[in-house]
Amino acid sequence: MKGKKLQTLSFFLSPMIIMVGLFYLIPLIFTIYISFTKMKNWNTEKYLSEVVGFYNYQRLFHMFQHDPMIKAILLTTVIFVGITLIINVLGGLLLALGTFFVNESSASAIRLLWLLPRMSPIAVYSLVWYYFFHGSDIGTLNSILMKLGAISTPIPWGQMTPWGAWSVIIFVNGLVGVSFGMIVFTSSLNQIPKELVIAARVDGASAWQISRRILIPLTKWHFLYVLTWQFLSLLTTYPHLFLLVEWDLVNRDYGTTLALYVFNTAFGRGEQDQGLAAAAAVILSIIGILGGFVTLKVLQFERMIHEPRGDIE
Amino acid sequence: MMGMVGITLEEITKKFGNFTALNKINLKIEDKEFMALLGPSGSGKSTLLYTIAGIYKPSSGKIYFNDKDVTETPPKDRNVGLVFQNWALYPHMRVFKNIAFPLELKKSSRNEIEKKVREVAKMLHIDHLLDRYPWQLSGGQQQRVAIARALVKEPDVLLLDEPLSNLDALLRLEVRAELKRLQKELGITTIYVTHDQAEALAMADRIAIIREGKILQVGDPDEVYYKPMYKFVAGFLGSPPMNFIHAEVEGGNIRIYQSKISVPKQYREIIKRLEITEVLFGFRPHDAEIIRGEREGIKGEVYSFEPLGREQIVTIAVNSDVFVKVFAPEGEHFSFGEKVTIVPNEERVILFDKKTEKALEYFP
Ligand SMILES: Nc1ncnc2c1ncn2[C@@H]1O[C@H](COP(=O)(O)OP(=O)(O)O)[C@@H](O)[C@H]1O
Ligand SMILES: [Mg+2]
Repeated sequence: MKGKKLQTLSFFLSPMIIMVGLFYLIPLIFTIYISFTKMKNWNTEKYLSEVVGFYNYQRLFHMFQHDPMIKAILLTTVIFVGITLIINVLGGLLLALGTFFVNESSASAIRLLWLLPRMSPIAVYSLVWYYFFHGSDIGTLNSILMKLGAISTPIPWGQMTPWGAWSVIIFVNGLVGVSFGMIVFTSSLNQIPKELVIAARVDGASAWQISRRILIPLTKWHFLYVLTWQFLSLLTTYPHLFLLVEWDLVNRDYGTTLALYVFNTAFGRGEQDQGLAAAAAVILSIIGILGGFVTLKVLQFERMIHEPRGDIE
Repeated sequence: MMGMVGITLEEITKKFGNFTALNKINLKIEDKEFMALLGPSGSGKSTLLYTIAGIYKPSSGKIYFNDKDVTETPPKDRNVGLVFQNWALYPHMRVFKNIAFPLELKKSSRNEIEKKVREVAKMLHIDHLLDRYPWQLSGGQQQRVAIARALVKEPDVLLLDEPLSNLDALLRLEVRAELKRLQKELGITTIYVTHDQAEALAMADRIAIIREGKILQVGDPDEVYYKPMYKFVAGFLGSPPMNFIHAEVEGGNIRIYQSKISVPKQYREIIKRLEITEVLFGFRPHDAEIIRGEREGIKGEVYSFEPLGREQIVTIAVNSDVFVKVFAPEGEHFSFGEKVTIVPNEERVILFDKKTEKALEYFP
């Protein structure tokens, strides 16, 4: 009996285990190993076996403490992840709630509009905002404001540190991320029996009261899911940031997060320092794992997952 | 306690796109009346109920509560209590909160909420369940909570949308009696939607039969049962349903396949006046006798018989593909293929026009 159960279990789990092992665990172990070596410029022959202990970590922590660029990057990471996360999750929720109360055809149009950023290629999408926030008078925002007479000379938005740069990267990524929450929340709202809403309306509840007292509590589960998911993806995302920084739209220090720093250090121009990048990547992973774990724990995700739907043997 | 409210529906039409869900509904519900809205699934019952509640706006027509036109009044100002088939309890609120919710929305004081919730919970025998979540309750208990939530705000009108159909048969009978009594005790104008004819007959003061968005007949249970206006009404009420057989009128007689019986007294004049030659001959399974030997009646062969305790249902083939059901007393013995004669109770026979399926006595 037990053997059979194990067999079934391994049958269903093996694809997953292979995937996780191949694409996550092995690279992770490899990364951890590299973080303890002197690996540079992908020169595996020379450095792969040169174990240096915690040297890379010591360097990194020294930089955390003393290198203004790294300090800026850390601060940027915190601000970027924090604020974009709030915008993503709350924006998605607001959009889902908003479209819940309008008729279906306008709701679909609104949803499609918000999906556009997600559907367009990263380069195209980033290019749109590159021109929008461009620091010269070809920038859409600048030209509009100048035409309106609000400003007389163009403002280099992304080069104004720190908040100018932060605002641009938060805006651009915030817009992309909203659609994810919107879709998850919309589908969860649509699963709430419509009689619950009708009952509340007959009893005199406004759209706001219906949202606050009924809809939001009933999407709690999805809320936690979106929150955790977006947190982890914001912590590790860098493609948009990479382009915006490379194109000089935003300030390098205040437009770079830890994820982009890892990428640049490992694969960027100039000297590539994979040992240092790996150490930073390990720290980023630890933050991600801790963060994810704390979210799950604090918000009792686990308990909710385990709430039984009948006894399962 | 409750105000006096009669409801008048005037030419109510409701369209969803091109689809007409309600078609010129005219209906008057008296103050304190228990009106059942009876019809098959998809006939527009819920739509009508939601229109009365104000959830849907009619495409045309008017709704009056007493003399007041409420067609444009939002749901919250109509003071109606609504109970759903699936009960629609808020799963994240305890029973107390569920019942208190309408009062909280009305901004009642804490004390008043406490008092009223306990009062109504006691009335419905759920005062020991106030701390539970809906999923910790049985179906019958959830249903009581739903009714309590609808009653707690002392509505002028109680609207019930198939509130018993998710309960098992035995419990349904019990709650049925209790609900009827509660309605009379509270004296609250009630519209009760159901597709279960037995429920409508048992509980309502009057029944409105609805099909495809149109009201076919309104009357008290006796009236719609014994004097159905349409074949549909006759067939929908009563179980097993009324028998309908194709028949031809020949002078003073009616020919039903090989048999010939005289036209029932009450129809002689109408048939002559309308010069009708084809009818549907209708009689209920309880309104006929099975006879052996020669008598005027409908001849047939016993096809099957099902004892039901105190009586049995006998299915008789009048023709190779025409069957009727007739009740017989428990002691009587039948055998398959036995030749018998069905003698309908003349007074209870109902003749319908073949084309319009309307009962002949309702022809002008
Ligand atoms: N919101 C709606 N949009 C479109 N069609 C609807 C809507 N609500 C009900 N209908 C249609 O109207 C008809 C009557 O529905 P309903 O009132 O729910 O029937 P009942 O309650 O008698 O089963 C059905 O054919 C249903 O498909
Ligand atoms: Mg219905």
